[in-house]
Amino acid sequence: MRYIILLIVLFSCSSLLAQRKYIYLNLDMNKPLSNTEWIEDLSMAAGKIGYRGFITPNLSAGVDLGWANFDQYEPTSTKQNATGAITTDYFHYIYSYSGVISGQYYFKPEDEDRFFPYAGLGLGASTNEYVLYYNIYQESERSWGFLARPEIGLLFRFTERSPLGIMAAVHYDYSTNKSDTFKYSNFSALGFQIGLMAMTF
Amino acid sequence: MRIVVSLSIIIFAALTWGCQTEPDSAKLIDQMVVSTNFDPQADFAAYTTYAIPTDTIGFVSNNSTDTIITSPESTFPRQVLSVIRRNLDDRGYVRVARNENPDVGVNVMVVNDFNLFQEVVYPGGYGYPGSYYSGYYGYGSYYYYPYVNTYAYNTGVLIIELVDLKNRTPDNKVKVVWDAYLGDVYSTIDRAKQSEDAINQAFIQSPYLGK
Repeated sequence: MRYIILLIVLFSCSSLLAQRKYIYLNLDMNKPLSNTEWIEDLSMAAGKIGYRGFITPNLSAGVDLGWANFDQYEPTSTKQNATGAITTDYFHYIYSYSGVISGQYYFKPEDEDRFFPYAGLGLGASTNEYVLYYNIYQESERSWGFLARPEIGLLFRFTERSPLGIMAAVHYDYSTNKSDTFKYSNFSALGFQIGLMAMTF
Repeated sequence: MRIVVSLSIIIFAALTWGCQTEPDSAKLIDQMVVSTNFDPQADFAAYTTYAIPTDTIGFVSNNSTDTIITSPESTFPRQVLSVIRRNLDDRGYVRVARNENPDVGVNVMVVNDFNLFQEVVYPGGYGYPGSYYSGYYGYGSYYYYPYVNTYAYNTGVLIIELVDLKNRTPDNKVKVVWDAYLGDVYSTIDRAKQSEDAINQAFIQSPYLGK
């Protein structure tokens, strides 16, 4: 554990000292992949913000923070049990927040061209709050878990000397967030993010 | 540059929208939750008669000493009781007076939970240990008066119980053989209509009730 923490600290410090860095702010679209009986709808209400610094011309490291709201409406139905029944409509919600330390490998060196395709991996933690709303009532459960996020993406600077550009990426999130109440053994989602990137030289 | 501005606006709007959202409150309360329970040992076909009040229902509240809601002070009891009566009649039960030895007694009540709480807000952090004054009148700044936020929530459940009067125990105890919890009756869009729909639904989801 000590070595992992040391590695993360070294990784973060090296990225802070790096010469070229970029920050980004992205809109994130996510499709849940686990327990889709509860929520399977695509979520557009999500975002990511991050900071990354180049350690070598092809490698960067940084921090990514993300949040996402997933929701789905369950129309009115009657659920029977052994001694009764309940009729209502339900609103399923998941509020998810995540933070990862990430590393990226760029297929072109940082000072070449305006396009920077990359592949990366983020490791960190996420917290999910699962909420079931019905009428004025609600049931909820919060859980924390380990998060792994492989990602492929592209940085595109508007001009060769412009610090501004667009960032687009596809990521897969796998977290160990469990919810016994809402029958999640883990939580995973596939996301597509696009937004603005600002690079310093 | 136009692309940057447009993208910034889109991202800002999306991220703002992405803050922890909740369901539309109007959609949440446009129908009541209907929960029913029954005693599996009860033989509902064995009952023939029932007794029910005409214009009074019970009231249990942490905010009032009233113990009943009655007409004509409120139109709610008559409306609720008539819908319950119609459903019981449709199931083949016969209404009788309380002194005519009914098989089933019908209890109807509203359980109300009223909560009020307040908090004092100090703009600029005044009042919190370790924080600075946000300013004070006469010292080139502004004094922000603290203000009080008052929150209240008022919730209520309409409860219907069928009590088995036919099979009293030797020490004259009776048993609830069916109940329905309908809520919330305070947060509604159309209380009369939603209550009627909820009562009808309580009987629909209880097909074992009837002769």
